Amino acid sequence: METLAAFAPALPEIILAAGAMVFLMLGVFSADNARTGVFIGWLTVLLMAGVAIMIGTGGAERVELFDGAFVVDAFSRFCKVLILGAAAVSLMLSFGYFERERIMKFEIPVLALLSTVGMFMMVSANDLISLYLGLELMSLALYVLAAVHRDSLRSSESGLKYFVLGALSSGMLLYGASLIYGFTGTTSFTALASTLQAGEAAQNLGLIVGLVFLLVGLAFKISAVPFHMWTPDVYEGAPTPVTAFFAGAPKVAAMALLLRVLHDAFPGMLFQWQQIIVFLSVASMLLGSFAAIGQTSIKRLMAFSSIANVGFILIGLAAGTQYGVSSVLIYLAIYVVMTLGSFAVVLAMRRANEMDETIGSLAGLSQTNLPLAVAFAALLFSLAGIPPLAGFFAKFYVLDAAIKAGLTPLAIIGVLASVVGAFYYLRLVKIMFFDAPGEAFTQAEPAVRWVFTLSALLVTFYVVYPAFLLDAAGTAARALVP
Amino acid sequence: MPRRVAAQTAVQHGMSNISLFLILLAPFAGIFAVSVAAGFSRSLGAWAAGASMAAGLVAALQLAPQVFSGSVVLWRVAWLPEWGLDFALRLDGLGLLFVVLILGIGLLIVLYAAYYMPQTDNLGRFYIALLGFAGGMLGIVLAENILLMVVFWEVTSLTSFLLIAYKYADVEARIAARLSLAMTGGGGLALLAGALLLGHVAGSYDFSVIEDRAGLVRDNALYPVILILFLLGAFTKSAQFPFHVWLPHAMAAPTPVSAYLHSATMVKAGVFLLARMYPILAGTELWFVIVSTTGAITFLYGAYIALLKHDLKGLLAYSTISHLGLITLLFGLDTPLAAIAGVFHIINHAIFKASLFMAAGIIDHETGTRDMRRMAGLFKAMPRTAILGILAAASMAGVPLLNGFLSKEMFFTATVAHPGFENAIYLLPAFATIAGMLSVAYSVRFVHDVFFDGPVKKTPKVPHEPPVWMRLPIEVLVGLVLIVGFLPQLSVGPILHTAAEAVLPGPVPDIKLAVWHGFNLPLVMTIMAFGLGILQFSRRHKLYALRDRFAFALTSPVAFERFYRAAARLSTALLAFADTQSLQRYLALFFSFAVIAGVWAWVRIDLTGGGATVLTGPLPILAVDATAVVAAATLVFAALGTVVFRHDRLKALIYMSVAGTVVSLAFLRFHAPDLAMTQLSVEVVTILLLLMCLRYLPERSARQSTTGRRMRDGLLATAAGTGVAALTYAMLTRPYETIAAYHMANAKPLGGGTNVVNVILVDFRGYDTLGEIAVLAMAALGLHALLSGTRMQGPGGPTLASADRYPIMLAELMRPLLPLSLAVAAYIFLRGHNLPGGGFIAGLVAAVALVLQYVAQGTDFAGERLRINTVRLLGIGLGIATLTGVASFVFGYPFLTSTHGYVTPPVIDKFELASAIAFDLGVFLVVIGTVLLALTELAGLRRAEDVAVPAKGDA
Repeated sequence: METLAAFAPALPEIILAAGAMVFLMLGVFSADNARTGVFIGWLTVLLMAGVAIMIGTGGAERVELFDGAFVVDAFSRFCKVLILGAAAVSLMLSFGYFERERIMKFEIPVLALLSTVGMFMMVSANDLISLYLGLELMSLALYVLAAVHRDSLRSSESGLKYFVLGALSSGMLLYGASLIYGFTGTTSFTALASTLQAGEAAQNLGLIVGLVFLLVGLAFKISAVPFHMWTPDVYEGAPTPVTAFFAGAPKVAAMALLLRVLHDAFPGMLFQWQQIIVFLSVASMLLGSFAAIGQTSIKRLMAFSSIANVGFILIGLAAGTQYGVSSVLIYLAIYVVMTLGSFAVVLAMRRANEMDETIGSLAGLSQTNLPLAVAFAALLFSLAGIPPLAGFFAKFYVLDAAIKAGLTPLAIIGVLASVVGAFYYLRLVKIMFFDAPGEAFTQAEPAVRWVFTLSALLVTFYVVYPAFLLDAAGTAARALVP
Repeated sequence: MPRRVAAQTAVQHGMSNISLFLILLAPFAGIFAVSVAAGFSRSLGAWAAGASMAAGLVAALQLAPQVFSGSVVLWRVAWLPEWGLDFALRLDGLGLLFVVLILGIGLLIVLYAAYYMPQTDNLGRFYIALLGFAGGMLGIVLAENILLMVVFWEVTSLTSFLLIAYKYADVEARIAARLSLAMTGGGGLALLAGALLLGHVAGSYDFSVIEDRAGLVRDNALYPVILILFLLGAFTKSAQFPFHVWLPHAMAAPTPVSAYLHSATMVKAGVFLLARMYPILAGTELWFVIVSTTGAITFLYGAYIALLKHDLKGLLAYSTISHLGLITLLFGLDTPLAAIAGVFHIINHAIFKASLFMAAGIIDHETGTRDMRRMAGLFKAMPRTAILGILAAASMAGVPLLNGFLSKEMFFTATVAHPGFENAIYLLPAFATIAGMLSVAYSVRFVHDVFFDGPVKKTPKVPHEPPVWMRLPIEVLVGLVLIVGFLPQLSVGPILHTAAEAVLPGPVPDIKLAVWHGFNLPLVMTIMAFGLGILQFSRRHKLYALRDRFAFALTSPVAFERFYRAAARLSTALLAFADTQSLQRYLALFFSFAVIAGVWAWVRIDLTGGGATVLTGPLPILAVDATAVVAAATLVFAALGTVVFRHDRLKALIYMSVAGTVVSLAFLRFHAPDLAMTQLSVEVVTILLLLMCLRYLPERSARQSTTGRRMRDGLLATAAGTGVAALTYAMLTRPYETIAAYHMANAKPLGGGTNVVNVILVDFRGYDTLGEIAVLAMAALGLHALLSGTRMQGPGGPTLASADRYPIMLAELMRPLLPLSLAVAAYIFLRGHNLPGGGFIAGLVAAVALVLQYVAQGTDFAGERLRINTVRLLGIGLGIATLTGVASFVFGYPFLTSTHGYVTPPVIDKFELASAIAFDLGVFLVVIGTVLLALTELAGLRRAEDVAVPAKGDA
């Protein structure tokens, strides 16, 4: 039994995986209707909440498992709690929508749960193989979720596109990983880090190409330009709650994975990867900001906004310092809140049973539904990075980290991109507050209202007590970059 | 003196300093008070707003003695100390001056607005935005931490947006608000970047600390960047040329807003920033050149345009721009005297401009128009207001005995005394005189056109005096104009002195504020300016004619809207390229960037050590012989054939099978018979299944690509292929460690078999294999779920006679072949542990034999004779494999531990049997089950098609 007790640090993953299988069986042998789906959905949310509490109250010392392929530390703890929060909230948002669309199947929460297990693996990966395992477990579940609305042409098309491109990027990643293995003879992050300290790594073609391809694969998952193409299509095509799910938890997991790989396995090649990250960051910020201006669909706009935000997050990563890591984590946490809140607003954009996700339908929202308009305005101002809302601090930390790391030009481009970004966020505010109102939206269900209200409050009042997030992110960052 | 800050800090942490926080708190608390009070009545809301402004003013005056005694009041709450963000406030002379202006004029505006705004508006929203704005302004002037200042800077941008767009039903107001937000908000972000850089360079965000390290900042390489970012912030806010465009259009706001924003607050935030940063950033050539040039251009340009405006508020707006230019110019001149003149003019301008705006508001309110061409002789209709307006305008022009005269005299003196321009000492004074002349001209025009110029014209409303309370704010301000004008030293002397102490880094020169300085050059300049100004005014019609002839159609809101649309168009165009929603395009982009990334990695390598070793490793390259060349050539040929004939599906399949065969031969050559056999049988099965699929597809596929696209794809594919080949070459020429040796050594002793591959499959890596067959079974089940019951509507097959469909020779040949093939399969299966073979290959061989029966004799014939439940077969296979694994638990070993021994069954000779063979049986069954399931499902499809025809007919 000692052998089993040694697996205790992996208990959250074990519980989630076992839970997914139990729920799957439960669903298979229950009536095939929406009630089962919602029931299992709430069970999933409960399970996630329970595991989150377990992780949050558990210890934070570094433990390695499975021959060093799996690691649990303060960093993984921070990311896992964030992932669970994002996943559970987006699940709660989804039930009403799926029931109305008559596609509330029990598979949806089970798939979400499975992809969460994958994300956990990613966050805790300490080996190229466990990295890939986690990534694929997450992605496979996401491919299905993207196409879950089978009768919708858009949903199927976006799912297919996502799958083809995703498979390709996974291939790239694997190719990169195999090159790295081929040239170093190891897949363990710890061993890679010590091998690459020698300094000759910079001369090793295979290693650099391997690193580049590994980054290509991961850049796809975080939808950094130029590997972002799937994002707008999937965001628009997938059912809105699925999009909300996509925009939250997987982004956190992929970004955490990127942090872990670069800081744990390739600290010796900082100079090489820093340039790639800077490029990805600049390209993402610029394209994301400029492309968002011309959008008419709010979901597509959110897609480009997420691309731009990823660019900002990468600024913190490019810094390559402990401060940079903690700024990325803070940004992620704030970004998740803002995104989920915004998607809750999008889910509230419904007249009778008809979703209207065009930007034009927001016209004069302040006169038809003031609470919704105020909440959305707070979220948009925050996304635009206007002080003293939370989004400003998120941007501030990453820019500060970049400047402290000597990446002043990158920080300046970041500021300029955020000017453009502010432009289209504020355009939405203007439409909501100053344009002639259209027909009012139907009252949204309680879960949706709770989410947009709470997230608006969080971004508004973050400024009052920021220490909690700062401390948590600081501890997590210290675990990664001593 | 600022240097005293550090010493005073300890002393100043008394209780009274909380007042500093109360100043800032007052307007924000007022927001809540107003939001409650305005709900009851309109006047209660106004009282609440006024009371909060007054409370702030009282708190500030309470601290005034401390400031006048020369100390800096500080108040600090540790907020995020480790991030350099403290909630730190300071009150020095400059801050106090601004606090008094903001709250004092704010109080008057509250009163004025209560009468100016229509009675139907309950003013709650107005006062809330106004108080928020005042709070933002106070935050800027009180901030000790520069980041805090940026935060409040943005607060003013946002609240001014709300104030300018107050009449939001008006399109013009909305565009104006957006324009001003875009300009000032953008400037604010530049300021943020500047503040971050400054904090980075100085090592602190605290103003006092940065001030002490000013020399360090100015010597830093980043100084020009910091300076330009800060100036961008200041110039956009203070409407300096060419960022002035937002200000005239912001006149769309209600007049109380204009009076507040464009006299004492919003636009003064920019010049406040200049004053605040003066000790840190000034004193360099760069500062002098940029700031003074910008100020000078704005000064002149604003004054010139002001003269041409017919709109009353337009004239005032451009005169505001002009005066802000003057203040900027004064700070840019970078002499102590000029800086003091700048501070002084901030006060004077705030006073007379606020009163002028309010007077203009009264005129607008009482006549119903703001066009100066439609009004005249208002002196008769409203003499009191007229006198107030004339006095304020005279102050603007710089008439002696009024406050504007004093600061203008100081300006003239500063230009005369400026040490620069050794070779052109008259350049600066001459410029000052010309600009002064223009100010006189537009001031005279304001007075002449509005109050005199003949009898009263017919205006939309009949003009008369406004209510007493509406005029009171102007009376107060004009009173100040006179007091400062008559008794400057007594009234503003002390505060100007303390403010100058805060602005100037060195000692403050002794300045005497007096009305009469004696007959000197500045006075001559004043007289010239007046003479020329009046002359200019009398000839103004020539200027109008000139303006009308060269009318500039592109006004800034139009330009802004065009820019806005252009940005949207650019975005759309960008999207058309980057976001085509076409998967092909995405893939092409994806590959392009992958290739670029690969090339980048190549370029990164330092080739000084010789390029050859980068690619080629130390391992020797094997000799190339004829067989290898032929095989490679065949492989390339087959691959090319597949591509060329991809539209002709049958041919493409044949070429593909050739490639597959060559690959299996290659395995054989590298001494991997197991792999070769597997590859071969997999090849056969897949080709056969694909052939069956061809039945449902048209013979030729449609052309889906253009030549250009094919070229592009070909190029990409070649580039990617070359890269991969190069990398493979690089990797294969390098030494690598394999785990082959371990398996070779241990296959016999531990696994009981000499066929290493098979031992790995069923023993060493048995867990993997179990997983793989589970996946295989799941794939088969997926196929089953997808295809069973599916009705395919493909093109009808070729109509051939049934005899031709299944050639008799083939059918007859196949029948005896079946038992033979099955026997071979059994043989391969059994010998698998020691010789090439095993469950996987055996399963494939048996499956091929069965597939051939279908091909040769048709699905009806074969299906009738082969009644196997394939799904069950999968289950049995998986079950056997799992049970084998579980069985080891019974013997106390971990999952899937295998054992082996020798048995001597009758007939056959001594035979080595490993428990793994049972596992292999499971593999065998799963493989057969999968292939057969695919086969029967595909075969079943055709029948469904036949069935579907009548069903379609019914519909």
